[in-house]
Amino acid sequence: MKTFKLDNDPKIGTGFKVPDAYFDDFQSKIDQRLQENEKPTISLFAKRKTWFFAAAALFIMALSIPLLNLMFTSSTEIDKDTLEMYLSNQTNLSNDDIVELLNEEDIQKIKIDLKIEDQELEDILTTNCNMEEYIVD
Amino acid sequence: MEEQEFIALLLDPKTQNTAFQKLLSDYQRPLYSHIRNIVLNHDDTDDVLQNTFVKVFQHLKNFKGESKLFSWMYRIATNEAITFINKKAKRNGTTSEAMQTRIVENLRADTYFDGNEIQIKLQKAIHLLPQKQQLVFKMRYYEEIKYEDMSEILGTSVGALKASYHHAVKKIENYMTSN
Repeated sequence: MKTFKLDNDPKIGTGFKVPDAYFDDFQSKIDQRLQENEKPTISLFAKRKTWFFAAAALFIMALSIPLLNLMFTSSTEIDKDTLEMYLSNQTNLSNDDIVELLNEEDIQKIKIDLKIEDQELEDILTTNCNMEEYIVD
Repeated sequence: MEEQEFIALLLDPKTQNTAFQKLLSDYQRPLYSHIRNIVLNHDDTDDVLQNTFVKVFQHLKNFKGESKLFSWMYRIATNEAITFINKKAKRNGTTSEAMQTRIVENLRADTYFDGNEIQIKLQKAIHLLPQKQQLVFKMRYYEEIKYEDMSEILGTSVGALKASYHHAVKKIENYMTSN
């Protein structure tokens, strides 16, 4: 059997053929590809970027509403009920002291118009053992 | 013209088109042969060659001149060709080796192949080699690229390339003798 030697035997070609005139229009193919690549392409993300940002802003606003609401409504001022409770239970102010701080108009406002029937009044007076004291006063 | 001058013309927007046309006309044939030897089929070679030149054009501004323009372009072409066959094999649910072997087996049916029996036998022998040895053998034997240039293109030392070629030749000679 003859030993094959690459260097001794005639050079073996690839056997590949190139289509006729293939290189004649190769330049124009490349030019076309380069022109296509130069066209500005807008990615899907870029196209919808405005919508993404709008949605994100809306989401942030929705989240911040309860937070802002809490911030603006929580006041350091003491409400009327708390103040009244404090004055009546935690201090030594008497009714007279309070009346001195009020003007006539304030007193009229807090005046309670109790319509007591004569019969009810009579019942209270007859059942109350301190009636004489009240009459004397 | 010095290579640095030519690169300057390629980078200058005023002279870029003319310089790129010259680059194309100088390199389209050798790069076609290089890619064809890797991917084997003409249509695939056409795709890869176009991709290579588009990439070369797009990345010219990044070319630092650390290697020769020739080596840089061959490196891009080699990477494009290898990536192409790997992707194609993946799409077809096979390995690149199996796909290449099938193409070699069917070379006679290829319109753009007119090789004789010995040429087909050599192609079959080459495709039994590991991928790196195939590449080194084709670049040295068919394209006659110098080891120094090949070293720049493949990023492998000249010694390793020589050893790779030597092993490839031995295996091919054994195959050609016994088949």
